Amino acid sequence: MPASSETLVRLPQDVDLHARPAADFVRCALAFEASIVVAAGGREADAKSLLAVLALGAKGGSDLNLRAEGEDAAAALEALAGCVTGLA
Amino acid sequence: MVGIVLVSHSPDLARGLADLARQMAGPDVRVEPAGGAPGGGLGTDEDLVQRAIANADQGDGVIVLGDLGSAILTVRHVLERRRNGHVRLVDAPLVEGAVAAAVTASAARPVEEVAKAAEEARGAGKL
Repeated sequence: MPASSETLVRLPQDVDLHARPAADFVRCALAFEASIVVAAGGREADAKSLLAVLALGAKGGSDLNLRAEGEDAAAALEALAGCVTGLA
Repeated sequence: MVGIVLVSHSPDLARGLADLARQMAGPDVRVEPAGGAPGGGLGTDEDLVQRAIANADQGDGVIVLGDLGSAILTVRHVLERRRNGHVRLVDAPLVEGAVAAAVTASAARPVEEVAKAAEEARGAGKL
């Protein structure tokens, strides 16, 4: 059974998950084999799909729920959480 | 990294979209515009497309996106003249496909995945 992992991380107050920040987020997710879902404001997106992440429209300061499944799920979420808090 | 070629009837459209895709993907992905007819007017140019493919090619494959049907015809002519099979014409919405592909390429993903990211743009809602 593949490992699964879940975590909650908050976007920096002044960074919406648009354009370049979204691209940075997706690039980080693409480095892992695990499947990763990001949820915000009651919507969900494949964290490896730029267009899906953009369509979330997550605003600065909002919470992102990250769920990953796969052997590197824990490492993926750790890296992604670090990516989100480091977005500028 | 997989390179990306944007074929448009408009030089401005191809250049502007290449700028946008590069800004999202960062400096390591080659995004090459091939817009306009010989002489710079509206249209397409096989030689321009051929050169853009060569410039985009870092050895890991190239995907080509076009704006309208006749751009696709031009690309097909160019690809018929080429031997190597690692250049792919992708059926995708131009703007969304280019940006999705560029970001996927920037994560050093293989050409199949980059092409898929562009193709999946067709079903991606914006609202």
